[in-house]
Amino acid sequence: MADTMGHSATATRNTRLALGFCLLAIAPQIIELIWSLGTIPGWGAGRGPGTVVTSHMTALLAGAPSAIFGSFGGGTKKLSSEVLLALIYSYPLFVLAILTFFMPIRSAQDYVGGVVVMAVALFALWAGSDLQGMRGFSFGAGTAPRMFGGLLVALSAGIALTGLLTDGPALAHYSWRGPLFVMAAILFFALAIRPLGLVVTAFASFMIAVTGSHETRWLEAAIVGACLTLGCAILFPYVLGLPMPMFPRFLIQ
Amino acid sequence: MDIFANLAHGFAVALSPINLLMCLIGALVGTLVGVLPGIGTIATVAMLLPITFGLPPVGALIMLAGIYYGAQYGGSTTSILVNIPGEATSVVTAIDGHQMAKQGRAGPALAIAAIGSFFAGCVATVLIALLGAPLTKLALAFGPAEYFSLMVLGLIFAVVLAKGSVLKAIAMIVFGLLLSMVGSDIETGASRMAFNIPELADGLGFATVAMGVFGFAEIIRNLDHGAEMNRDLVQQKITGLMPTRKDLADSTPAILRGTVLGSILGILPGGGAVIASFAAYTLEKKLAKNPSRFGRGAIEGVAGPESANNAAAQTSFIPLLTLGIPPNAVMALMVGAMTIHGIVPGPQVMQKQPDLVWGMIASMWIGNLMLIIINLPLVGIWVRLLRVPYRLMFPSIVIFCAIGIYSVNNAPVDVILAGIFGLVGYWLIKHDFEPAPLLLGMVLGPLMEENLRRALLISRGDWSVFLTRPLSAVLLAVAASLLVLTVLPVLRAKRDEVFTESEN
Repeated sequence: MADTMGHSATATRNTRLALGFCLLAIAPQIIELIWSLGTIPGWGAGRGPGTVVTSHMTALLAGAPSAIFGSFGGGTKKLSSEVLLALIYSYPLFVLAILTFFMPIRSAQDYVGGVVVMAVALFALWAGSDLQGMRGFSFGAGTAPRMFGGLLVALSAGIALTGLLTDGPALAHYSWRGPLFVMAAILFFALAIRPLGLVVTAFASFMIAVTGSHETRWLEAAIVGACLTLGCAILFPYVLGLPMPMFPRFLIQ
Repeated sequence: MDIFANLAHGFAVALSPINLLMCLIGALVGTLVGVLPGIGTIATVAMLLPITFGLPPVGALIMLAGIYYGAQYGGSTTSILVNIPGEATSVVTAIDGHQMAKQGRAGPALAIAAIGSFFAGCVATVLIALLGAPLTKLALAFGPAEYFSLMVLGLIFAVVLAKGSVLKAIAMIVFGLLLSMVGSDIETGASRMAFNIPELADGLGFATVAMGVFGFAEIIRNLDHGAEMNRDLVQQKITGLMPTRKDLADSTPAILRGTVLGSILGILPGGGAVIASFAAYTLEKKLAKNPSRFGRGAIEGVAGPESANNAAAQTSFIPLLTLGIPPNAVMALMVGAMTIHGIVPGPQVMQKQPDLVWGMIASMWIGNLMLIIINLPLVGIWVRLLRVPYRLMFPSIVIFCAIGIYSVNNAPVDVILAGIFGLVGYWLIKHDFEPAPLLLGMVLGPLMEENLRRALLISRGDWSVFLTRPLSAVLLAVAASLLVLTVLPVLRAKRDEVFTESEN
């Protein structure tokens, strides 16, 4: 199967992979930006989107480079968490993305797997960077996370190298329908169980999840969903005695 | 012959009709609740704990023991049928058990799991009676350094049981260790990698991650195009409910070895039962003439770990009854139940309340017997569940898992986290990473860190302590040799592969 992909495809593949890694390199910043959009209508506390964008942009473009050169000059200023994120997480991944652009990849499955796991490890190193390290003989809160994070960086580099040096399978095909609707069902369940109660939530989640398969027969699904909801409504709150809201809050009040 | 008199006394207590009934009800209810996907042993015992409050102490504890065994067996049933392990010990069962189910051999897998558990339970009961007190001394010989080495060994077992690349398996273990660091630090209380999310302050729950990377990920993967073909095949070729003579012959030695391993490792508090089932699987894979069958539906891969798991579950009562130390979360719930009934577990219990201790030991055996009586006929019903069309089965599993995860802490965030881990698990499958080592790393991570810290604190920062203490050195040596044994054939196979490819 790998043969049919051909070597002509490698060039376009690499560009796409490199761009993907660039996106991965700024993924935490983007997620924080999306999160911060919630502060506009007043949900949750945190920084507004404007501050998030400017602070990360300055960190990525100015703060981090100056920190690198500053360290050569022997400056030991306390770095902000944005600068640290750029230094620990984003820059190494940008470097990898640039390397990816020029490298012949023999097993995309291993290479991408290794790089993404490395991204997780780097992110963990950043997330643990504010924790205390060793104090004499005794471990600080941050010692073990740093140890395992470093180990994982090394291991994932090894996996990525395997992807460069040995032949192996290409990237597997992802489908979008199953993940999308199953996730939607789970998300809906989580958000609705408190305000809407078990009965409505379970049935609605069931119907959302059912959409994830293209073999669905709607009538059959609705009947099974209703029976399952009834069963759960009897089983969990009454038989097992779990405290769970049953009906929508606005109906009870 | 003091012991046999005691045991006889115990059986006299446990065999009274009322207590027999308690045991039966407990095992039945435990199985029925434990079999729901998304609800593991801990959740089952915690949910059913209140129904025992109104009973007399002996009856209550006997019923709880029944619930525990029932829940455990129910958990194995779900991991075999739908590949959703509800707790760490049935992760290994899922590996080969679910493959057997896919080949239409769910019946034999379930039956062997029940038979193996029963046998292991019988042996372990006698062991508890005979060796309870002396074996506890073994657990006391384990200091922090030994525990750390044991955890390393346990993690290496997970590498051996993985099918694919060793490097990827180790990376998954370390990933699991990192995940276990999330939440409050045990010693300083500092919040680690929790991003100010209050639900993360307690760390990621095992159930949340396990439901995600096994349950949800498996469902999403089954919805892929092309997976439908496989599923229909599964539903058509269900053959034979009971194991054949060959199955029994294959699994008998595995059950024996699993029982011995489980009984020994179960005594060690903390992760004993988990390591036991992983170790039993590794042992079977190493001893097998054809190790490549493992991970593809080898019956020994079900028989060994299931017996080890049950034997360990049984012997883990030893530290509880003799030292008052609960070795795992379920045992901690048992301690809770005991204190509610005014019993303080510990060395005195054995002398002060022989009725209770020996009655409970005897009821463990009876609980196992009940389990096999209840479950062998039920195997047919469980297997029939596989005939439910997948388009109806998967949304039901999603709902059950969601309710199960929600009910653990009443936290909607846990459900979302499990969903995220479902996507992570799907990605891991696509990149040929295995989730079982990740879960083991997550379970053993906190214990490993705690013991590493303690050992280094006691040795004043001297790392050689792990090699100078004999028991610890032996454990590490076993771990190292296992790793070498695993890596060698892989390297050789790689070389063979290179050669065969260059021939083409």
